[in-house]
Amino acid sequence: MLRTEEMLLNVGPQHPSTHGVFRLVITIDGETITEAKPVVGYLHRGTEKLAEDLTYTQIVPYTDRMDYLSAMTNNYIVVHAAETLMEVELPERAEFLRVIVMELNRIASHLVWFGTYLLDIGAMSPFLLAFREREQILDLFNDLCGARLTYNYMRIGGVKWDVPEGWLDQVRAFISNMREKLKEYEDLVAGNEIFLNRTRGIGVYSADEAIDYGLSGVNLRAAGVDWDLRRDRPYSVYDRFEFDVPVGKNGDLYDKFTCRMEEIRQSLRIVEQAVDQFPEGPVMAKVPRVIRVPEGEAYVQMESPRGELGCYLVSRGKDKPYRLKFRRPSFYNLQILPRLLKGENVANLVAILGGIDIVLGEVDA
Amino acid sequence: MTEKDREKEKQHETHPGGEPAGKTESHKGGNDRFLRDNQPDEQKGAVQSQGKGETDSDTVDSSDVKQPADSAAKKAAAAAKAKAAAAAKAKAAGAAKGGSIPGRASAKKKKEPPEPSPKQPVLDRWVRIIRGALGEEAVEDAMINRPNGHLPTLFISKDRWLEAARLLKEHEELAFDYLQNLAGVDYEEHMEVVFHLFSMRHRHAVGVRVKTERENPEIPSVTCVWAGADWNEREVYDLLGIRFTGHPDLRRILMPDDWVGHPLRKDYEPFDEGV
Amino acid sequence: MLGLLKGMGVTLKNMTKKKVTYKYPDEPVKMPERFRGIQHFDPEKCIVCNQCARVCPTDCITLTGRKHPDPNKRGKIIDTYDINFEICILCDLCTEVCPTEAIVMTRNFELAAYSRDELFKDMEWLHDNNTKIRGGSQ
Repeated sequence: MLRTEEMLLNVGPQHPSTHGVFRLVITIDGETITEAKPVVGYLHRGTEKLAEDLTYTQIVPYTDRMDYLSAMTNNYIVVHAAETLMEVELPERAEFLRVIVMELNRIASHLVWFGTYLLDIGAMSPFLLAFREREQILDLFNDLCGARLTYNYMRIGGVKWDVPEGWLDQVRAFISNMREKLKEYEDLVAGNEIFLNRTRGIGVYSADEAIDYGLSGVNLRAAGVDWDLRRDRPYSVYDRFEFDVPVGKNGDLYDKFTCRMEEIRQSLRIVEQAVDQFPEGPVMAKVPRVIRVPEGEAYVQMESPRGELGCYLVSRGKDKPYRLKFRRPSFYNLQILPRLLKGENVANLVAILGGIDIVLGEVDA
Repeated sequence: MTEKDREKEKQHETHPGGEPAGKTESHKGGNDRFLRDNQPDEQKGAVQSQGKGETDSDTVDSSDVKQPADSAAKKAAAAAKAKAAAAAKAKAAGAAKGGSIPGRASAKKKKEPPEPSPKQPVLDRWVRIIRGALGEEAVEDAMINRPNGHLPTLFISKDRWLEAARLLKEHEELAFDYLQNLAGVDYEEHMEVVFHLFSMRHRHAVGVRVKTERENPEIPSVTCVWAGADWNEREVYDLLGIRFTGHPDLRRILMPDDWVGHPLRKDYEPFDEGV
Repeated sequence: MLGLLKGMGVTLKNMTKKKVTYKYPDEPVKMPERFRGIQHFDPEKCIVCNQCARVCPTDCITLTGRKHPDPNKRGKIIDTYDINFEICILCDLCTEVCPTEAIVMTRNFELAAYSRDELFKDMEWLHDNNTKIRGGSQ
């Protein structure tokens, strides 16, 4: 009889498919994984500790860099936490601008997921096609706030800049362009037999497990739990827009793919309605120059492209927070990885890890 | 757009070189004193800023009258007076709005107590359930966190935390099966771990705070109740040093494995300061 | 089989479309009006209020001032003004708080250097950096 033993394989921090500096130590028996231990912390920059030493306006550039693929949502959560405690009334135009940029950012983030996920699975063209569309969104943001990835756009009391000339028409043109391209992506990918074989029935988990592990976002909805913070706990002006929330059935990777594609479509719908209803007015409320948040604590949550992004703010009445904790969705979503990988093939590891959609800047903060 | 911004900034206030002669270098940390001095029209904002400046190591409470040591003395005194008046007004307004800390609420209530929160009966019912099952001392305190959407908040003692967690998850009316947030906070005299729980069935939320002391802080782990608490407890252990008894694998997660010290503590000294 | 054929159809259709890539660096890329590049500093307008240094999230601005040499005028004039470009994150907060627009962003972002010393921008360099200023004529 052949003697077999288990091997320890290190899917190291430098790896093209781990979406960042993420290390996974797996014990494999032949081709089957028996145990997987994730090691995180390679990108830990101490944002929460830094935040205790910076004023609220100064923290916003740091939050851009946590979840760098959807920086607008990160900006928003900090500003929203402070505004909840301060109980500031925001002008309508600022709220609508925030919704437009956050939804555009959601589309951009899902496009990155789409491109890189299919690249992990083995397809090269969707990556380039997705990034062609994403360039249009980044150009829109470049026109609006001067940067393509680290926006530093939201302030307590509103947003920093108003829209430049012709920006809303460009957004409208983008929406119609994107709708056609979505059809193209579905033609390219969704019927492809290789893709279906690689994603159907892989990485399945039940709704109860999803709730137990504290998953959120598409990971929760693909398993069948109908929970979306934009609809169920509306923040900003989301209660004025009509949109559907896609919910999956099986909890496998194919459901996650369809959910995310459908979410892009619904985000386009929201942006269209917001641009149609765009009001006039100022973009910044009257807040004092030195912002002091009254004493208290608050936990606010919102739906970022990765899941439930939350911010727990403890304030002692000064102009710097006492404790600022971010509930980062990728950190929670990643906990289910060892459970999902048990008994799987090594080949499915990359597909399952990609399906969770993590951003390491957010896991480590 | 820059013009509008400039105007807006100018509206609030300008600092026409109002720095005292001694400070020509730029520095950030110790300048809070000045930010509070030259604030005569801070009250203009739509913000109720309760200027409870607690004296900290690098900020100075400006609501007391300071020793005028610099040329901005008159301005400082006037600003301090205006600030004190506003602080008193804000305190009275704050009492009407409802304090969010139970001890303080009774001290601040000068005029009339705030109207009862709509979530108060819910909170009372939950406190009764938990106290009924686990005894009086399980729930140390309970309050409603008003700015945060009237979130009911419980203070549970750490000795009964594990059973309380099981009760919160399995009881019919409570059914908190989704762990939204697990955070550790270092108040200087004690440490706390804050949990935010949510019930998918009944769609209600609760906040739980478990206190522990600063030397050898320990709290029972709830990984067996909510699997999502696993890595979060490791993170709290890593950054704050709170041990979770009963955790399956308590080791450092974000810092390197051989790191000494717990960075998020208030008295943490980074060893490579000034690099 | 059908799915593969449909996918192939999409790929072949894209072959005939116009290319979207830019031929950078052979052709310069025009950045929009609000782009945040390295700063331009105008010493005449600076009143040494220290707001930019105070608001900088990474503490990369250091400045010193001295009393105005003209005894009739009050206030200060700027003596040295440095931006440590190694840690500047181009967040634009300094230009937001400057009351006199002495510091503005330009659209220059191609600043790679061969040694770290060149990354410490002093007042002279920042003043000479006057092309493509945001809101300016270029």
